[in-house]
Amino acid sequence: MTTEDRTDSGGELPPLLAKLDDAAQALAQTSSFAKSLKSGRVLHAARRVVMVEGGCEALESRMPSLESAGIFEGSDWSQPQILLPALAKYSLTAPATETVMLEALSELRMLAVARGNYIHPSISQQQAHHHLTQVLALNLDLLFMPPSEAERTRQGSLALLTRRLFQYLADGIGYEHIVDKLIDEIWRILEQRPIQVDAVKQMILQIAACQANPAIELGSSGQGADRLISSLFGTTNGCREDPGLDTYQQRLESMDNAALQYEATGFARAMHDTGLVSPYHSQLMRFLLERGDHLLSEAMGLSSTGRDCLLCYRELVHAMIDLAVHPQSPQAIYGLALLLERGILYQPPVAPALWRQVALPLSPYSQQRLHIAFGDTLSPAARLMEGVLCMLGQPLGVGQGNNPTCQSARALSMWAYNDPDYLLQMVAWAARDDEIIMHFEGQPVSSRENPDGVAKQLPIDLDPVSLLVVPHLDRIYAEMGRRCIGRDEDPHRWINPEFHGWWAGRGFRIAVDIATGQLHGLDDFLRYFYASYHPFYNGNQPLIHPQPAGIAITDSAARFIGWHAITLLRVSLDPQQVMRMYFFNPNNDSGQDWGDGVVVSTSGNGERFGEASLPFEDFASRLYIFHYDPLEPGTPTNIDPQSIETVIGKIQRSWGADRQPPGGLQASTGET
Amino acid sequence: MDKDPNKGYIAMLGWSLNAIEALERFDRRYVIVAPDWAQEYCEQHNIPYIPWNFERLNDRSMEIAETLKDMQVDVAIPLFEETVEWAGAINSVLMDNPRLYGQSILFRDKALMKRRAQLGGIRVGIFEEAHDREDVVRFLKRVNQTLLKLDGDPNDPIHLKAFDKAGCLGHRVIRTPDEIDMIPEEEFPVLMESHLDGWEFAVEAWIHDGKIRFLNISEYVTLGYSVFVPATPELEKYRPQITAQIEKLIKTFDIQFGFIHPEYFVTSDGEMYFGEVAYRPPGFKVFELLERAYGFNAYQAMVLMFDPKTTEEEITAFFPREVVDAKGYAGCFGVYPRRRVVSRLEIPEETEQHEYFESHELTTPLEETVTKRTAFGTHWGLIYFFGDEPHKMRDLLKRQEELDFYV
Repeated sequence: MTTEDRTDSGGELPPLLAKLDDAAQALAQTSSFAKSLKSGRVLHAARRVVMVEGGCEALESRMPSLESAGIFEGSDWSQPQILLPALAKYSLTAPATETVMLEALSELRMLAVARGNYIHPSISQQQAHHHLTQVLALNLDLLFMPPSEAERTRQGSLALLTRRLFQYLADGIGYEHIVDKLIDEIWRILEQRPIQVDAVKQMILQIAACQANPAIELGSSGQGADRLISSLFGTTNGCREDPGLDTYQQRLESMDNAALQYEATGFARAMHDTGLVSPYHSQLMRFLLERGDHLLSEAMGLSSTGRDCLLCYRELVHAMIDLAVHPQSPQAIYGLALLLERGILYQPPVAPALWRQVALPLSPYSQQRLHIAFGDTLSPAARLMEGVLCMLGQPLGVGQGNNPTCQSARALSMWAYNDPDYLLQMVAWAARDDEIIMHFEGQPVSSRENPDGVAKQLPIDLDPVSLLVVPHLDRIYAEMGRRCIGRDEDPHRWINPEFHGWWAGRGFRIAVDIATGQLHGLDDFLRYFYASYHPFYNGNQPLIHPQPAGIAITDSAARFIGWHAITLLRVSLDPQQVMRMYFFNPNNDSGQDWGDGVVVSTSGNGERFGEASLPFEDFASRLYIFHYDPLEPGTPTNIDPQSIETVIGKIQRSWGADRQPPGGLQASTGET
Repeated sequence: MDKDPNKGYIAMLGWSLNAIEALERFDRRYVIVAPDWAQEYCEQHNIPYIPWNFERLNDRSMEIAETLKDMQVDVAIPLFEETVEWAGAINSVLMDNPRLYGQSILFRDKALMKRRAQLGGIRVGIFEEAHDREDVVRFLKRVNQTLLKLDGDPNDPIHLKAFDKAGCLGHRVIRTPDEIDMIPEEEFPVLMESHLDGWEFAVEAWIHDGKIRFLNISEYVTLGYSVFVPATPELEKYRPQITAQIEKLIKTFDIQFGFIHPEYFVTSDGEMYFGEVAYRPPGFKVFELLERAYGFNAYQAMVLMFDPKTTEEEITAFFPREVVDAKGYAGCFGVYPRRRVVSRLEIPEETEQHEYFESHELTTPLEETVTKRTAFGTHWGLIYFFGDEPHKMRDLLKRQEELDFYV
């Protein structure tokens, strides 16, 4: 080994492999508690192996021995069956070599298992294959895009390493699997109709780029992408070949009514199919403002309800389109269409409140926040109007972004769903006055006087309404919490009704003891829940108002992760005659595996757009807080003990596993 | 690993995961004696453990010795400077040999240590104890008078060291009387030494039955920054003289068994000056470097030396031959941030891509402002290298001093 033959990639393979094998041997000899002392050398050696021709292959073939040497010991990677594909992105883009390399080795292990070269005790060949395709699909940028400047600064040459790795993984698994998987993933997300679709659009762009690249062999895959791509770029006859906005404008000007009608229905169908709106659609809408409301209604794909609404509030709708619908904000059309379909304009305060919104002067601070988050392609007022339309049209499309503000996101969604004019009032206060005042037990709580919220930083990855309102709500929520300090019960008991609205039940049940965190009075808790919410026990009373509830989130191995705020929306039989709870989860993607067979469904079981659902028992097994009307408690004694027992079993196997009270559950619940 | 009940039972004084890891895969029965914060970890991982807080020797000191004796422990091994006199005290009970405690005191007090060395005919520099700043001023003046310096000539520096601290802790270099005012009151008393111009190096010697069983020479590239093993041929050529020096040391300090880690200077005319000696593993992960270079575990080697039941055959089988059996050269570099304000860790490409580079244990900075270094300070983490050419290793380690790892 001499200096002269050293390459940029850090050397030749055999000596690097010798280093790796030496380090792996030292690791293998070490007792399990001290693995961390010896794993660094292995990971650093592996890092350099990846960068050399043939390195990934050499690592893949070594994965059985590396894993048995204990490279994953003491980390989540030691249980490949619980690894979530969505999390791979974070470790692969981390700045520390150790984190990136553990993830990289884990993926190489998956590849070895998927190819049948490594028989793994805890994952099957199919599972490994499935995992890999998901990881690849969720990180197509690592496959097709060179590192951005930010990545380079953060990761240095590690950014190149992940690309090399992905190339190797994709070659091993086949591009066709990845693209199909990605398409499924996009449809799964779109079925939840999120307000924020930028990430989805980004993924569709990647597929389009992939299809257009002759160097990538897609085979028969990628067929399902056409609808997605066309909904954005070539929706109708008039823009089939993605001609550019100027050309399309010229074409519109020369179209007769029949052609325009054809364009309008084409766009409307694509929009309602996917929830995605093409920039050309905006152009058509603006053009149609001059051409009569019939075509406008067609272009939004309105039913008779929506059309009536449009005709009753014609000027308002025109004003809102004029302000908010632009090629830079096409999603406003979808929001507006759904808003009209909901018929909420017939509630007396809503239309005047929207007029106020159209003319609302934004504070310099609000303008600046919108500007930072969305750029300056559109005026801040237009951006906010788009956000308002989308939130009122898609109340269940609200997401909390990557922020610990599930409470605030839930409140916004609940108001948009149940009390739209109150939401508009909040938006006006926040955007114009930079202050929201709520009342807690008769005392005013100002968002301006209480600067500390739950979130440590101002969120930026949100829709326009959340962007402005959430920071205020978050501070108010945190202050309400502070005012409850010293009370010996869970503060949500008092905060939830005051924070969300009068309709949140004043009856309150919690499944854990505040002081000890142990399970407490489970039997009673579940009986009340069944009696209040389950139609078989509450006199077949459908849920009237959306109710705040708290759940214990668990991971795919059913381990407790944290407490989370959701909204109970309705309870009914699904198409298979199973009683289900339909609920709203402010988390950005509701389709989650909570372990022990509890998998949250977002479509195919009678869900409306944006709803998540679980069979009633499964849901009850993750619930820890709920509200109810004490005057309508049902008959808690009537509940089938078998159901209660099943649910308690599920709790004990998941988040309740290490929360068993010392005397066991029976001791405290036997009396009821 | 299965333990051999016919061999010694040892107690490790102090907490070192690397040492425990080595003991786990060695055939001696062991017990870790460490402060009570280690209890939970030991229970969790089934590590034999006795809680003990090594604050200072007091009335209860006999208690730990009696406990170990009741357990039929044969010998106690110190891992850190602070546990050296504990090991001496405990071993004097376990082995019924009161001299061991006296010996350990010599290792703990740098002034006593030097005097003893001097009495044994070992060359040491000029040294003196200082109780206040005036003592330091006087010593600085006198040393420089001896060197026939005139007023206005730049002074030769003197070194100040705490009596009883390990390595570079509390080590200061003083050149002018102004610097003396910067020494905080609480650091006194200290040991003062004249500066020796020469090549400083360290030795690790494993001793059993009063004989050297393995002798390693660690070459410092820059003191406090970097070290590698084995040394370059230029330093290794002194091995016969160095061995003679160590034998003198063994005789002077009456060392029958154990492990010592002395430091020397060799001047340009080949004369060896004794710096100091420690009766515990060296810092800077030299043990880990030795394992990398030779393949034997230095902690296990220590156990072998301390254990009175060790046989000659075992020793012969355990140790490789010095220098010739090394698979290569292992070195490490201690990183100090070079800028006053740093925000993140960024390993230079030329370091990470070097064929000798092995790994590093640097972490992202928690604070942005770098505390100004007083005395020699502590590094922020080590970088490990391994390769087959000693001069390339030396130059590589030297080169690291010019690079920024925190920016």
